[in-house]
Amino acid sequence: MSPRFTRRGVLGGAAALALASCGGGDPAPAGGGRAGSGAATLSSIVALEHAAVAAWATIGDRLTGDAAGSARAIRGRQAEHANELSKLVRAAGVAPPSARAASSYAPSFPRLTSAADALHFARDLQERLVRAYFEGLVVLHDAGQRRAIAEIGAAQAEDLAVVHSLAGDPAAPQAFVTGTS
Amino acid sequence: MTATRLLLAALAKAAAPSDADAVARLLGFERRLEAAYAAALARDAIDPALGRRLLGHEHEHVRGLEQALGDLGRRGPRATAPASTVGIDFAGRRAFAASAVQLERQAVDAYVDALTSFRDDHLVQPLASIMACGAQHEVALREVLGIRLV
Repeated sequence: MSPRFTRRGVLGGAAALALASCGGGDPAPAGGGRAGSGAATLSSIVALEHAAVAAWATIGDRLTGDAAGSARAIRGRQAEHANELSKLVRAAGVAPPSARAASSYAPSFPRLTSAADALHFARDLQERLVRAYFEGLVVLHDAGQRRAIAEIGAAQAEDLAVVHSLAGDPAAPQAFVTGTS
Repeated sequence: MTATRLLLAALAKAAAPSDADAVARLLGFERRLEAAYAAALARDAIDPALGRRLLGHEHEHVRGLEQALGDLGRRGPRATAPASTVGIDFAGRRAFAASAVQLERQAVDAYVDALTSFRDDHLVQPLASIMACGAQHEVALREVLGIRLV
């Protein structure tokens, strides 16, 4: 039986691919700090956050009114997360990855032709972010790093709930929010 | 490493709450939330569809944490009576939503505390997934209050 490709599925797949190519799949930085420092894991999440900032700008361009305001606010939160985690990477003795020019991320994002497309992309993006933070929790051992990752992971889940709500769905649809990779 | 440092490390480990202690504490928060949503539904202090959904989640969280406690070799404290709802405002839907937002935030903060020092890697992601649901409950309740979601 041939696989069925829904528009939503294509957008979701595109989101995962876009993020992988934009930073989420970046290798650990050269000179990635001492073994077990957490620098490589944190750097990967910083790269993902930089991509998320660019993605949310693209998402916001397709939204209007309160939804556009929410997109701006979430984009600002992602930038704060990137800054906060970059400090932790520096504290581990490594230079954190820098954001690339927005124009370098844009070609790998899915083509968004409507607000509905934008919200599908946003949902998949946030799912991917939630997953990244929860995976980070498992491999990090420093208490300060883990606290930051847990706090931001919860904030990412909130932003995912906002996306659900903007799409007209229940903000909290399921009992266990695991994210998707 | 000197003997003194080894001793200090051992003392610090002994002083830190065990994973089972942490899960038992989280179970207390979840049972209180479960009791809160059940009481709110009974008193019409929450929209029925929303209340049923959030209560259903809390049932699943309680079941999951009880199972986690079992996995950690400890039987969960038996819930012989519903958890206390003292201090929760059931005067109306907005009043309850405001109370419940605070309860959910306390629970999320407790999960962050637990995850900071949790040792059993197999339970980290399940606990995080419940924490994330709590964070989403906050958003659902802020909608009731008409508060900006972000």
